Amino acid sequence: MASRFSGALQLTDLDDFITPSLECIKPIEIPKSKAKTGAKIKIQEDGAYVELNESGTSEKLQKVEITLADCLACSGCITSAESVLVTQQSQEELLRVLQENQNFRENGKQEEARFIVVSLSVQPVLSLAERYGLDPESATRKLAGHFRQLGADMILDMTAADDFSLLESAREFIERYKSSQDNVKGQIPMLASSCPGWVCYAEKTHGNFILPYISVTKSPQQVMGSLVKYHLTKYKGLPPERVYHISVMPCYDKKLEASREDFYNELKQTRDVDCVITSIELENMLISQGVSLNDVESGEIDRPFGAYNKEQSDKILWGHQGSGSGGYAHFIFQYAAYHLFQEANTTVEFKNLRNPDFKEAVLEKDGKILLRFAIANGFKNIQNLVQKLKRGKSPYHYVEVMACPSGCLNGGAQIRPQDGLQPRELAAKLETVYHSLPLSKPEENCVTLSLYTTWLEGEHSDKSAAFLHTQYHEIEKMNTALAIKW
Amino acid sequence: MGSLELKQSLSGHKGRVWNVCWHPKGNSLASCGEDRTIRIWANESSKWVVKTILAEGHQRTVREVSWSPCGNYIASASFDATTAIWDKKAGQFECNVTLEGHEHEVKSVSWSRSGQLLSTCSRDKSVWIWEAADDEYECASVISCHAQDVKKVKWHPHEDTLASASYDDTVRIFKEDAYSDWVCTATLNSHTSTVWSLSFDSTGNRLATCSDDKTVKIWQEYKPGNEAGISTENNESVWKCCCTLSGYHSRPIYDIDWCKLTGLIATACGDDIIRIFREDTDSNPNQPSFSMVCTTDDAHTQDVNSVQWNPVVPGQLASASDDGLVKIWLYSE
Repeated sequence: MASRFSGALQLTDLDDFITPSLECIKPIEIPKSKAKTGAKIKIQEDGAYVELNESGTSEKLQKVEITLADCLACSGCITSAESVLVTQQSQEELLRVLQENQNFRENGKQEEARFIVVSLSVQPVLSLAERYGLDPESATRKLAGHFRQLGADMILDMTAADDFSLLESAREFIERYKSSQDNVKGQIPMLASSCPGWVCYAEKTHGNFILPYISVTKSPQQVMGSLVKYHLTKYKGLPPERVYHISVMPCYDKKLEASREDFYNELKQTRDVDCVITSIELENMLISQGVSLNDVESGEIDRPFGAYNKEQSDKILWGHQGSGSGGYAHFIFQYAAYHLFQEANTTVEFKNLRNPDFKEAVLEKDGKILLRFAIANGFKNIQNLVQKLKRGKSPYHYVEVMACPSGCLNGGAQIRPQDGLQPRELAAKLETVYHSLPLSKPEENCVTLSLYTTWLEGEHSDKSAAFLHTQYHEIEKMNTALAIKW
Repeated sequence: MGSLELKQSLSGHKGRVWNVCWHPKGNSLASCGEDRTIRIWANESSKWVVKTILAEGHQRTVREVSWSPCGNYIASASFDATTAIWDKKAGQFECNVTLEGHEHEVKSVSWSRSGQLLSTCSRDKSVWIWEAADDEYECASVISCHAQDVKKVKWHPHEDTLASASYDDTVRIFKEDAYSDWVCTATLNSHTSTVWSLSFDSTGNRLATCSDDKTVKIWQEYKPGNEAGISTENNESVWKCCCTLSGYHSRPIYDIDWCKLTGLIATACGDDIIRIFREDTDSNPNQPSFSMVCTTDDAHTQDVNSVQWNPVVPGQLASASDDGLVKIWLYSE
């Protein structure tokens, strides 16, 4: 089966001899009880290891478990044992939690049940809509209905989080641009941060050289995580750990993002996003239940923070101008043209360069190029960008970097094309649908604007920084005896 | 039976020599090895002498060297995960470009016939294609198609078609599609162990591969609408194994070269022997037969790592070995 991780992450792997990779440095924790010698270990028929005590009794031994978070902290490998690593972020785990919840409720233990929130991002909705021949709005409602049947308490769309990410990225860009004018190093180009495959690759492979350039703005998934766990909970009167937050995403790399230590609250022992489920996994869940999305009863999208605006309060799914990956380059370009150069309503035209996954747009005034933006999708273009940066030959102010060719609409865990269609043809089809959606303008989104006041105590506040920004960590290459090279 | 006569033994490398490559004009030879150097040898008054030692390019073993078709550049693949491009613009060979990107040891490097494309492959399981323009190299593709370490890449002699050989026992053929993505158009399954190397014949319609399974296999390309009536899919050629040479080699075969001038096939084997094969005169094109026409015991005192026919002088062969030597041979009937 093809991997659902992006190409950038697959390459960071090496498993010619053992799995996990020979460079895995997970310090395996062995809880010492008391010193024993000469213990006998038996392997049961089911593969479980059992220790035989001197008294003749037996004790089942614990398996060593490697979590996704461990893997993120290691430079050795990442995806060599997908099946082992993603267990805590799988459809099985999701169904287990839902079942557990149902049991609590049936047994009158309402107070132990968790409040289950599902956040739907737009790319998987379009993927499933295409797969089942539905229009995007119906697909959204059907998915809402499906999750509600499974026991979810609240279904949210992510437009507010998308718009937070866009606005914060644009403001960050303005600050970086001004700092770079004052000769502060490491500001420009600003590189997009919403693709976790790219971020993970940068941390593992290029470390402190590249990390200062990556935007500190959180991705929409993680903005949503903060919003659900630290605002919605207050409003609902629940502690964050009582909420189980599921996000629906177009790629497996998002599971890695959700597993980052930066998004884990040690005190409360809870993650901002507990479980990431992808388009392809949703399709599998439907297939294994013998259900077609077409036959699922529609449900409603919840709006705990109000509607986008009064005029279009019936709209539940929004797109953005620009790329199907969220339109970062497009929005930041227009925002910067206006806020830096007083150019209002600029038309942004991204032109293909060497290949359709490398596009460029410039803002020109009086024969002078003021802004040069690029969109670089896929691993080969990431390579060329990084090498250009290393040689000091990058002419760009901002680059929207996404690890998958064609960007997020062609995410690694989007549903595979049917009937011999090429992945690029399918991505183009999804892009057409994406651009037919009502367009969200981040500066006009009433939900985002009101949340700045009600949740974040204003723009540029400490709370905004805490909830909307993050940081990156260089992962040093290991030099273990096992990894010795000649 | 023909014979292979040793013309000269070239010493100088410290430690094993991994690879030899002839200049396209056939008048000089590059070799590389464990000592992290590239040596360039030339023939002066009928003796081969070392002309240049390039020592500053790589941090670790240099695994393969390749002259560009114009003869002005050398590309070198190293276990330090980089590929260096050397040119002579300043009079002496200098490394002016380093291609970075592979995560682990680069195993092989090959120029396309036009010299505008370069391919590299690595232990990181990927095959990379680079576009060269005005001494700038841009990555045109990263192909993660093989399941294991990729040992060798070679371009087709006339088309922009690439073949790769891997530890996953397969050979794969790649072409550029309509979206300027490089895609695998054929997978050649038949070897039962690592495929170490491969070589196209002069037409490019046949491919010889050698393996850790001690066999050489000859593959025939069948294009869409071929006369033999072999069915093809998606308007792409299929490659069929039309001949297996087994029972000749007693150890893994590390390299193979199909001479574009004479049609002779030379193999480099872990049993220290260089063997030469030729297609039989009465051979059926769809089921060809080959015979061994020469075997040179103790060609080297250790594993033979590389063999290559001179592209201009018929019968002249260079070899490289773990014994630290490069040897120049002449085959005669």
